[in-house]
Amino acid sequence: MIAKPRTARISVPLSRTLIGAITIVLALVAVLIAIGVILILIGKNPLAAGEQLVQGALGTAASRADVIMFALPTLLGASGLLITFTAGLWNIGIEGQITLGAIFATILARSVTATDSPLIVLPLELLLAMLGGALWAALTGLLKLFGNVNEIFGGVALNFVAQNILIALLNGPWKAGTYSSTAPFAAPALLPALNGTRLSPLAIAITLAAYAGVVFTLRGTHWGLQLKAMGRNERSALLLGVRTRRNTLLALIACGALAGLVGAIEALFVRGKLAPGISGGIGFAGTLLALLVNLRAGWLPIVALLLAIVPVGGLKLTMALDESVQLDTSLGNVFQSALVLAVLLANGIRARWRTRPTMQAAIVPESLIISAAAEITTHTIGKG
Amino acid sequence: MHIELEHITKRFGALCANNAISMTLEGGQIYAVLGENGAGKSTLMKILSGYQPADTGRIVIDQQPIAFNSPADALAHGIGMLHQDPLDVPTLSVLDNCILGLPGGLLPDRRTARAALIKTAAHLGFSLRPDAFIDSLTIAERQQVEIVRLLSQNARVLILDEPTTGISEVQKDTLFRSLKQLAHDDGLIVILVSHKLEDVEKLCDQVYVLRTGQIVGQERMPCPVVHLITLMFGQHLEPTTRIAAAHGEVILSVRNLQVKDERLTLDALTLDVRAGEVIGLAGLDGSGQQAFLRACAGLYPTLQGQILLENRDITPLSYHERLHCGISYASAGRLEEGLTAGLTVAEHFALVAPKGARVDWAQADQAAQAAIAHYKIKAQPTSPIETLSGGNQQRVLLALLPNPLKLLLLESPTRGLDVESARWVWSQLLERRAQGTALIFLSAELDEIVAYSDRIGVFSNGRMTLIDDPAHMSIEQLGTLIGGKTA
Repeated sequence: MIAKPRTARISVPLSRTLIGAITIVLALVAVLIAIGVILILIGKNPLAAGEQLVQGALGTAASRADVIMFALPTLLGASGLLITFTAGLWNIGIEGQITLGAIFATILARSVTATDSPLIVLPLELLLAMLGGALWAALTGLLKLFGNVNEIFGGVALNFVAQNILIALLNGPWKAGTYSSTAPFAAPALLPALNGTRLSPLAIAITLAAYAGVVFTLRGTHWGLQLKAMGRNERSALLLGVRTRRNTLLALIACGALAGLVGAIEALFVRGKLAPGISGGIGFAGTLLALLVNLRAGWLPIVALLLAIVPVGGLKLTMALDESVQLDTSLGNVFQSALVLAVLLANGIRARWRTRPTMQAAIVPESLIISAAAEITTHTIGKG
Repeated sequence: MHIELEHITKRFGALCANNAISMTLEGGQIYAVLGENGAGKSTLMKILSGYQPADTGRIVIDQQPIAFNSPADALAHGIGMLHQDPLDVPTLSVLDNCILGLPGGLLPDRRTARAALIKTAAHLGFSLRPDAFIDSLTIAERQQVEIVRLLSQNARVLILDEPTTGISEVQKDTLFRSLKQLAHDDGLIVILVSHKLEDVEKLCDQVYVLRTGQIVGQERMPCPVVHLITLMFGQHLEPTTRIAAAHGEVILSVRNLQVKDERLTLDALTLDVRAGEVIGLAGLDGSGQQAFLRACAGLYPTLQGQILLENRDITPLSYHERLHCGISYASAGRLEEGLTAGLTVAEHFALVAPKGARVDWAQADQAAQAAIAHYKIKAQPTSPIETLSGGNQQRVLLALLPNPLKLLLLESPTRGLDVESARWVWSQLLERRAQGTALIFLSAELDEIVAYSDRIGVFSNGRMTLIDDPAHMSIEQLGTLIGGKTA
């Protein structure tokens, strides 16, 4: 008897993986050439600009730390979104969940004084943040389950509500001084930074733990398998005995809790206070990231870091004195988005090429993903 | 106009939906294409109306062989199809819907279109306001809009797919009157796709009967309904060698159940099923047997009455709760409802495995291996389920059912399977019965129902008639019951 493969996961034939890699590389090269041409047309030196960008992002220890810290919240958000995507849910409301996480963390953080112990304060703040994000996500879920409101529309609406709650708080009860933001939090309320750097070990630990937890949950647990079955065919999953309604709610809550942590990192480390636009488009960037890796969780950290190079390095280009490489930050965001779109497009084209009749159905969602991504990209640029 | 369909063949994987079908259609006639669910009538009409090409065979219109690339192409050749759910744009007005498909420049000629619309509607006896919005109309009125729209684009052939579901008697009379006028006075070809014999009797001049992808009969109306039913369901019954199983206690009691289907209300359903008993549900497609089955499974709401499982009232229980009580349900659409495309065989077994936080992949793999060996499934544990043939998918579905079971509810357990697989599936089901599981199944195959049922429930006109002794039943008697003519 022939030895059977041990695991039960789908093995993709190598040739398909190879073709996939080639399409994506080709798409990336095409976009890079296009970007180069644009740079030449506006009188810049593309090679020098590229070098400066990479140099700016990876040249010094401080800039490398910036890349990591830039990638963290996106990775954390995308980890949560892996759960909902696996279950076939579009948690577009993640921006609002991040905002609520930041607000809930602030409830405690703004009353913390310099003499409080961070050992008590920090865990409570993080738990509050998770609670805030989870509640907001649960609202989306309840609207879907009991009000028949699609989670995309519910999420968009709740994003607006969250945004306005934030603004109302910052212009009203939580306003400190003339600016519409809270006062900077006292030191014990903040996530500590590693000596003399802009790195937060705690944020790194939280993110990596969350990522590892999500990967394990989706691959190794019964619940993860149930979510996967729901994402592929909710009706069949129901008939096989999966409690689909309950799982819909739980998946959203889990994602919301992680989104809440993103909000906590933003408020308690990156900004050090609660300020307008606290979610900063991270939710959308996370969505983009989750789409980009297309449920292949192993790629998530690497792609998150690669994506973070562009904005961090782009910042250096903005400040460059050399006229031939000096670029506006927004252009960097445009290029980043163009790269993402190119990869998605390559995936879409690949799906179209597969002529197996059973794949016909797969073309529609893929194109939907692309249009959704285009939509989100515009958002991210707008926020950038 | 004269249309010849010549040896039209269409396959979907292993399933031959249309097998060398030839048909002649003459102007001025109303045809019925009659057949049970899955007989191949929709496939054939989709080919004729340009929605999908045939694998082999050709369509000849007035001695010209024609190949359609799209429905628009077919309409350009005069063939228009009216779908069961009208394909209109609900947010547009009646007039705009009619203009939508018309050729004609940047600015539509509303004035001419309006005049034409009013004229055609009046000619057919429809009262349509051009400015009414589609979503304010009834299904019947939307059908009228579709007919007017197709006619305005010079359709000479009208194909109607189950047009009388969901419309009132009066609306049906209006529709039929207009269709007769179009065929008999204006010389159009009208094709009615249906399994409703009553409509066929009222409307049609000629009938083609399809069964398992082939034409099994062509009749001129009027023709005895029983004869048509015999054609639809098969000519003769195999002599059955039934192994009588000992029946146990009453497992399921259905008392005065009322179930509302989309289009009909089932009333006063009463049935006692004993352990080890097999009940077959017969009836024309959509007569309520599926709704009844799903109501028993907890997938369909019940309006009144009670369902008792071993004297315990389970009416308020959900599907999941009933599953835990030992009731299982297997639908006919395996990949739509039952299995999950994209998951492997082993993942399916992991999904139904006894719960625990972690998935025991080794155990799931073993369960899959065991099922593959026992049920003779041609697959590996790592095979994605959608790569299996229909027969093998059905075997997986059966293997996934919990064991032991008190009650097993099955929809068309052998649909799309070859004879060998079908026989095998039944051998497995009968084994379950021998263990004391009660079976209720529905099927479009009368042979299957008569061969395996201890009792038969015939659905018609929203009622179920029970036959206690199917062995001594002739197919004519059964056909009469199915056709709804109470003897």
